[in-house]
Amino acid sequence: MSEADYKELKKGGMMRQAESGLFSVRLHVVGGRLATTQLRAIREAADRFGRGEIHLTTRQGVEIPHVPQGTLAALKEFLAPSGVGVGVCGPTVRTVTACQGCRVCPSGVIDSPELAKAVDRELYGKPVPHKFKVGISGCVNNCMKAEENDAGIKGWIEPRWEAPACTFCGVCQAVCPTKAIATSGDGRALIIDPTPCIGCGDCITSCPTGSMREKIRGYRVFAGGKFGRRPSLGRRTLGVLRAKEEAMAAILAVLDFFREHGKSRERFGDTLQRTGFPALETFVKERTGLP
Amino acid sequence: MTTPLLDITGDVCPMTFVKVKMGLQRVPPLGTLAVRLKEEALKNVISSLKTEGHRVTNVSREEGIFLLEVTKGG
Repeated sequence: MSEADYKELKKGGMMRQAESGLFSVRLHVVGGRLATTQLRAIREAADRFGRGEIHLTTRQGVEIPHVPQGTLAALKEFLAPSGVGVGVCGPTVRTVTACQGCRVCPSGVIDSPELAKAVDRELYGKPVPHKFKVGISGCVNNCMKAEENDAGIKGWIEPRWEAPACTFCGVCQAVCPTKAIATSGDGRALIIDPTPCIGCGDCITSCPTGSMREKIRGYRVFAGGKFGRRPSLGRRTLGVLRAKEEAMAAILAVLDFFREHGKSRERFGDTLQRTGFPALETFVKERTGLP
Repeated sequence: MTTPLLDITGDVCPMTFVKVKMGLQRVPPLGTLAVRLKEEALKNVISSLKTEGHRVTNVSREEGIFLLEVTKGG
């Protein structure tokens, strides 16, 4: 088998092992969720084609290691009826990770698994200049580490201050973890600085009079994060988005920017180092029409 | 009737929450309870009070200690 053939196999989720003739087969998992019927099929497949072992990857994926090259096709065929697809590797859009989201987690702001499904449907396995990871955290607690991904999404609560009932008791300012709330010079208004605000909504939950309210309960997009040899954190782009569709449009635009400006074997964060972050911001704003 | 005072400045979550809940059991509906607490306890105490249908009707502070007037739900 030629190196080119191995490369093709890898793109299709079949990773050559160090041990000759064996492959670790990556499966298609979305947002870390599998149905029990899928799990049963995976178990059965690992018993039949591997060595009865399953590897859980760092990004919510599942791999079946120790599969002999000659049975790769049969393994794929065996899994298909249970709705278990084979994964991807190489310069493609990788596994979309997600937390449990607002349907399960009391802290959840957005339905992360739903968004993960939508992103996966649209983008999974699509070719890009270099591997591209998308991770979705339901809230500011950021269990899915949005900033470690090439494109990350975080559930976000943007607060709004309303004057009438406010007694200026100081609770919101005391609880704000980034001290983003200031009193105006004349002492008659509160000013929320969106730059340090991390969208936690603590000011809203602890306001005794309901003067701090939710302006937007939505999505925040981060771009250019990665881990690996030279880690860097993704940075915010666009304002707080109101709908799943807007978040989707933002991710598509971010990816388009990468396709237009990224070089082969260059991670997105490095592309942004080269072009400057403002170039992405301008592009994404123009492309999506979002604020 | 004087407002009973509950001091939870020496407690941490979840005891802050438990003590406020117990304190409110001794207060009649629409009665008030004063709670002295540290800044760190503000968020959890106030948000749980709101969730349970009580209201914080006054807030004052001195030297990093907050004093809440809590009106028990009806």
